[in-house]
Amino acid sequence: MLVSLALPLVVTNAFAIDILIRVLLFAFIGVAWNLMGGYAKQLSLGHAAYFGLGAYTSTILLVRFGISPWVGILAGGVVAMLASVPIGALCFRLRGPYFAIATIATAQVLMLLFLKFRDFAWGAEGTTIPNLGNAPLMMQFPGKAGYYYLALVLLAIGLVITRLIERSWMGYYLIAVGEDQDAAEAIGVNVPRIKRDIYMISAFLTALAGTFYVQYIYFIDPATAFSFNVSVEAALVSIVGGIGTLWGPVLGTALLEPTSALLQSWLGSGRGGVQLIVYAAILMAVILWRPSGLIGLLTRRADAPEAESAPVNG
Amino acid sequence: MAAIIAQAVVNGLLIGGIYALVSVGVTLIFGVVKIVNFAQGEFVMIGMYISYFLATFLGIDPLVALAVSMPTLFIIGLLLQRFLIRRVLGLGDMPQIFLTFALSLLLMNGALLVFSANYRTVQTAYSESAVHVGPLYVSVAKLIAFVVAMALSAALSFFLRVTDLGKAMRAAAQNRDVAMLMGINPDRVFGVAVGLSLALAGAAGSLLMPFYPVYPTVGQVFVLMAFVAVVLGTLGNVKGALIAGLMMGVAESLGIQFIGADSGLLVVFAMLLLTLAVRPSGLFGGSTR
Repeated sequence: MLVSLALPLVVTNAFAIDILIRVLLFAFIGVAWNLMGGYAKQLSLGHAAYFGLGAYTSTILLVRFGISPWVGILAGGVVAMLASVPIGALCFRLRGPYFAIATIATAQVLMLLFLKFRDFAWGAEGTTIPNLGNAPLMMQFPGKAGYYYLALVLLAIGLVITRLIERSWMGYYLIAVGEDQDAAEAIGVNVPRIKRDIYMISAFLTALAGTFYVQYIYFIDPATAFSFNVSVEAALVSIVGGIGTLWGPVLGTALLEPTSALLQSWLGSGRGGVQLIVYAAILMAVILWRPSGLIGLLTRRADAPEAESAPVNG
Repeated sequence: MAAIIAQAVVNGLLIGGIYALVSVGVTLIFGVVKIVNFAQGEFVMIGMYISYFLATFLGIDPLVALAVSMPTLFIIGLLLQRFLIRRVLGLGDMPQIFLTFALSLLLMNGALLVFSANYRTVQTAYSESAVHVGPLYVSVAKLIAFVVAMALSAALSFFLRVTDLGKAMRAAAQNRDVAMLMGINPDRVFGVAVGLSLALAGAAGSLLMPFYPVYPTVGQVFVLMAFVAVVLGTLGNVKGALIAGLMMGVAESLGIQFIGADSGLLVVFAMLLLTLAVRPSGLFGGSTR
């Protein structure tokens, strides 16, 4: 932990610290996805919906009304949380693979709608976030270290929430739902309610990441905010690291994100596709040979009780 | 006005024939093997590239190329079932979803690497020609694609109803465990189901080639349509997928005509969400999955 706090002081290379920020950010998105996808086994492929809603909420508040992204990030979380209720009500009518497809559709519909909102949300051209230089009150920092610490705080929040849920009655209910929904229902778990609640929490956290990301890259458009790649990566890092485990998404991101960044810098952006080929090959290998994720290869942490860290195959 | 609507409906039905072919493939695998093949669109893409290269380098008509693309994809399907799908059966949703999903990413981006993102087209003698039926304009290439697609679907349902293997497949779709107790060899039945499903995707690819460009992500267009059609037509129901596939084509075409050129997909997704809200078990089903 201390190492991660001191890292920006040691690592001064902008490329390296950019990778670190992306690792923290996508680990956080993975942690948010994992709450629902990992513990309750509700495999969403549409978390970009909430990433985008968070990003657009804070940007519209900032650019149109001059409201600080610190307020916007929470507002975005609330918008995403509220949006997840009707979206969940529809998508949870399907199970398994068709739930995943329905969530893809919701993220796509939101992207298409934001492409249409030309007056209100800048349409396909998107907009840049006004650069104020050193303005911590507007979530803008002069160097990359500020963003690094913010991403670190977000990830820490995500991990603490996961830990609290894991240790509470909710965690056990989620695992019960993930193992067998019908059986969980039969022993008295209110399945629709618990799925709704965890979806709200997961959506809220994912939206925070959306605001952070647009503040970090100073740009927003529907293709970035609702990018299918965000949905894919959220699931991918969790599965590769260890689905339904506290540290799984962090491990997965720590392996995948630097690999992809290095590949991109070696091969240049001209060779499109290589990054996703590598991702897909890793994903396939993990599913075929180690479906519980790579976290099991590391020695178990002393403070992690066996029952909780043991991955569950539903 | 009536002529515009009629024209949009005809256009929609013609392309809907292709959606139906892809949808029938998705629903066949889902019905028999109980997994969703996220890579189905990529097999349409492979069928298109097979036809494209046969047409470009050997001058073979894309429709004749059907005789190559279908058997090739049937064999790929047998291998897919034998070496990948079989290993995740009974392992739960996560491996089943993400195995074919990873395969889709792999094939799509592999194609991007090998063939580049360029759009490639094949010009045939009939690519641009059309027949006029009263006030309606009907593209010959699309009409041929539609007729062949319907013929293949009819052949499949004949196969499922009449042959022993087809009956075994329907039995496995209804109740896998009982079917196995009755002495049906699941490996063989599953392999043929996946093979046939991919052969249909390959056929869709060949049929598209005279009037549709091929590029690495082309499959996404068709697979999204197919997924929606399969939900609308009730999961695992071949006839339902066929009718819903045609409906998706018409809905998309009307959306493009009356809402805007970029609205086809929006209409399709709206239909999915509407289906889920009103009739989650689809048009032909009693209860959800």
